[in-house]
Amino acid sequence: MRIPLFLLAFAPFLLAQQPKLLDIMAEELNRNFDILKAKADPKPYYIAYSVVEQETESVSATFGTVTSKGYRRKGRSLDVTVRVGDRKLDNYHTISGQFAQFTAGIPIPIEDSPAAIKLRLWQETDRCYRLAAQRLINIKTNKEVKVADKEASDDFSTEEPAVLSQVPPLFPFDGEEWTKRVRKLSLVFGKYPRIHSSGVTVSFNHEAKYFVNTEGARIAHGRPFSRVSVSAAGKARDGMDLSTFDSFTSADPRRLPKDGDIRKSVQRAADDLIGLLDAPVVESFVGPAILSGRAAGVFFHEIFGHRVEGHRLKDESDGQTFAKSVGQPVLPDFLSVTFDPTLQRLRDEDLNGWFTFDDEGVRGRKVKVVDNGILKTFLMSRTPIPGNPASNGHGRREAGAEVVARQSNLLVEATRTVSEKKLKELLVEEVKRQNKPYGFYFQEITGGFTNTSRRGIQAFKVIPLVVYRVYPDGKEELVRGADIVGTPLASFAKIIAAADKLDVFNGYCGAESGSVPVSAVAPAILVREIEIQKKESSRDLPPLLSPPMTPQSGGGL
Amino acid sequence: MRFVLFAALAAPLLAQDPVLKAMKDEMERSKSLRLPNTPAPYYIEYGLDDVDTFNVSATLGALIGSGDSKIRAPRLAVRVGEPRFDNTNYMFSDFFGRGGGSRMPHEDDYDVIRHYFWLSTDRVFKGSIQSLSRKISAIRNITQTEKLEDFSKAEPVKLDLGKSKPVFHRDEWTAMVKRLSAVFNDYPRLTNSVVEFDSGYGTSYFVNSEGSEVKFPDDLFSVRVRASAQAPDGMLLHDGISFHARALDQFPSEAAIKTAIENFAKTLTSLLDAPMAEDYSGPVLLEGTASPQLFAQIIGMNLGLTRKPVTEPGRNFPIPVSELEGRMGSRILPEWMDVVDDPLKESHEGRQLLGTYAVDMEGVKPVPVTVMEAGKVKNFLLTRQPVRGYSASNGHARLPGAFGAKMALFSNLFVNAKETSPDAELKKKLIELAVQRGKSYAMIIRRLDFPTTGTSEELQRLSVATTQRGGGKVVSSPVLAYRVYPDGREELVRGLRFRSVNVRTFRDIIAASDKPRQFDYVGNGVPLPGLGAGGYVAGHSVIAPSVLFEDLELDHREEDNPNLPIVPSPIVRSSR
Repeated sequence: MRIPLFLLAFAPFLLAQQPKLLDIMAEELNRNFDILKAKADPKPYYIAYSVVEQETESVSATFGTVTSKGYRRKGRSLDVTVRVGDRKLDNYHTISGQFAQFTAGIPIPIEDSPAAIKLRLWQETDRCYRLAAQRLINIKTNKEVKVADKEASDDFSTEEPAVLSQVPPLFPFDGEEWTKRVRKLSLVFGKYPRIHSSGVTVSFNHEAKYFVNTEGARIAHGRPFSRVSVSAAGKARDGMDLSTFDSFTSADPRRLPKDGDIRKSVQRAADDLIGLLDAPVVESFVGPAILSGRAAGVFFHEIFGHRVEGHRLKDESDGQTFAKSVGQPVLPDFLSVTFDPTLQRLRDEDLNGWFTFDDEGVRGRKVKVVDNGILKTFLMSRTPIPGNPASNGHGRREAGAEVVARQSNLLVEATRTVSEKKLKELLVEEVKRQNKPYGFYFQEITGGFTNTSRRGIQAFKVIPLVVYRVYPDGKEELVRGADIVGTPLASFAKIIAAADKLDVFNGYCGAESGSVPVSAVAPAILVREIEIQKKESSRDLPPLLSPPMTPQSGGGL
Repeated sequence: MRFVLFAALAAPLLAQDPVLKAMKDEMERSKSLRLPNTPAPYYIEYGLDDVDTFNVSATLGALIGSGDSKIRAPRLAVRVGEPRFDNTNYMFSDFFGRGGGSRMPHEDDYDVIRHYFWLSTDRVFKGSIQSLSRKISAIRNITQTEKLEDFSKAEPVKLDLGKSKPVFHRDEWTAMVKRLSAVFNDYPRLTNSVVEFDSGYGTSYFVNSEGSEVKFPDDLFSVRVRASAQAPDGMLLHDGISFHARALDQFPSEAAIKTAIENFAKTLTSLLDAPMAEDYSGPVLLEGTASPQLFAQIIGMNLGLTRKPVTEPGRNFPIPVSELEGRMGSRILPEWMDVVDDPLKESHEGRQLLGTYAVDMEGVKPVPVTVMEAGKVKNFLLTRQPVRGYSASNGHARLPGAFGAKMALFSNLFVNAKETSPDAELKKKLIELAVQRGKSYAMIIRRLDFPTTGTSEELQRLSVATTQRGGGKVVSSPVLAYRVYPDGREELVRGLRFRSVNVRTFRDIIAASDKPRQFDYVGNGVPLPGLGAGGYVAGHSVIAPSVLFEDLELDHREEDNPNLPIVPSPIVRSSR
């Protein structure tokens, strides 16, 4: 009953009529394109306008009082793409690690006033055209003096233009009601004087995207998105800063968890943090570990996902870990990796990496990147790479940035699985087999970063929040200060088992094209060998004076 | 128990305010901060600026966006050592121990505000200890040419002027901004225009360990208008005007703003077809807002003295120094001119002044200061940071400064002329001078691009051009400049910049008008602020008469201009 209802509510409206904004954009697009084609040198062969409309509201509370209020705000941001030259060689061509930036993401009116909007479109087209023409001349000069590029792929792919108007409904969000709720929920932290900073935040976001290009695409689409996040931070007696975090996401704010469930999460964040503050500090360690489903998701996103983003294979300064690996095994043969932007939810959780069209107007497609351990393909924007001439709907950006290939919903699937209980048993076996004093269990991870550049070390780092040492007798001990470090290829080969239950990590990923919503779905995995280092920590000691608040006060005089 | 004791010492009204009480109670408790073998805090201050804003912007009658926001910005200072020698005035004084560590509530929650100040004070105190010890070791290796104390004495102030009382007319203001922005529909050659309105309802709180307790409303309302266009020869032109008031009922009427915008749009449009100016050297009359705009930059921004911090050996770095530094008693203006900064005056000839305040950022009550008398430098604007020759504040700490100090800034600057002539008389004199000098025309400047609407590239070019053309201060360029021919006819020209203008230039003023003009603006402490610059800001008013310079040099812009767009504007149907 619940699922059909939800689908009904969430199914974007198919509009009978094209939104007025699309008409305004299309008119000005055609006018600029026609005149530029007739009069400009070099001539543009492609222009696109993209408008992102966002309506947001948020509220945060700590110890029962509001700490920030993002009042309801609506704004529109314009990105213009002008391509001069031709598909083979245009102004977006990569020159030795330089990333082309033309668009600026300027604000435009939120009211559909043709004159005011067209004026902005025209000005941005003019500005981007000038930069595009200049860069193409630079590229051509550069090309003549340089030995022909090793890679011979085009600069822009050919795609079918889509015409579709479906804007998601604006869900009701009761800011007043939520203010009361987060206020109350955040009071829980007031019981713990050692929690220095804490908060419960709810944010509401409604996004509509309007896209037109000179190939005939006319698209209006979007997504609603709401989130509750819980965080707590404190300082151990030796000065180490520690924090815990949890979040819930949902397309419709009315489907966010009930207070009881959020309170449990708040309580867990508090309990975990209090536990961590007095937990022993890890020593450097190499040995077996389990990554929970959420931790494994982040692990895959960082060490694997970023390396299958297609445009990286065009950039000579990139490490290009998998450049020659298509058709080769890159993961254990019981693992497959799929990126699926068409998946709105998994079980009862909405997925953050969902979209109907990417930011180049290409329909998001399900892409099986690794099939039973074998690398099949890459995530593609409209920037072709050798062997991949077309987009698979993964060209994404934050407003104001240029599009590159980015991840969507990452799904790690295992053909051979065990129960989570069995996975722990396998960990203990592995600890004994390797003659280690203990193994590790990574329960919560907050994200991380990776370096794919050729210049830096090809490495990654994820930032675990809640970590346990697991002893040969099965005993678990909470520890603090553990960072997972290592080099990517080595880490993949060491995955030896996966659990049968999938967990979802919803988050935001930052890269060249800005911050985009993503999710990672994975089972818990057992890794034969993982490298852990003690995290660098602050040397500032805890506060000299005791907290001024009497325990359990919090809120009002 | 402890709280009750402190509350009893405070003035009853002030103590009732949960924000001020939380600040005061936590500050009192923080006096007991100690680290082994290091000095205790001898001075603690907390400031808190609380602002509720509503902002709306529109172009050509269409809404770009609007929304509310709330800012609560705390400021903390913990001084360790003693006033003679403490952790401040050292090159790394601001480097260690910033506040933070928890979230400042947006509500008047006593407990949570104390919690914030507790964690922040701890950090700032530890940072101050670190700065002091580094400063002590730095000073061992250098010989100071001049020993100044680090902090001056000031009388504690207890003042409660209440809190701001926000009343938001969101729909009304939104409609007004849309209407005002629609004025530009009649000026289609101005291809980019925006009208913005900000209502900021602020309350400022301050306590220090010397017993000061201050609370006062600090509101600011602004309308900003900016527009730009490209002239037929490619030159990019831009201009802006703004309207401000500290109280809503003092804000100019919509009709008055609309008329001003119409004039603004008209002159900017006519500027597009105005001839390019030539280099000019000769008599110049500064009329309209140009005179107060230039006084603000050249005299106003030089009235604070900067102090060179203690540096690490071998790490000397240049600190911008006031042009008036060391010029005490020197003649800067004609003998018949005085300059007074008066932060206490509320209004001038019925119009509200923007620079007025009751207590400065260090909790000091300001006093009016005669900075120039009979054309000579008489005094400076001071904070509690002792500078050469001065050891007491006159209440001009208006913005956060560097090296643990605050920045001294002017408030309401009155340029008073004892010998004056009517405007018509000045113009006549200007023409006479030009004729005497054998010039075919003289120049009148009526508005400068100040605060600037220029892009950062343009400011860069202005700075380079200033250096190349004989130095002087980087001064905002004239926007409205007119050639005046011997028959009195005026011709608008474009593309002028000042050449080597500095404080000495003002000695060449030979006449002033009998009608001083008030110019209000909001600055952020830099010499050439941008229109609508954010962060900590201070309101200023300059009241100055039109002034006639015997000799001023103006250069014309020489940079190449971008081509005109290949595609004509979507809203200009007729050909140029």
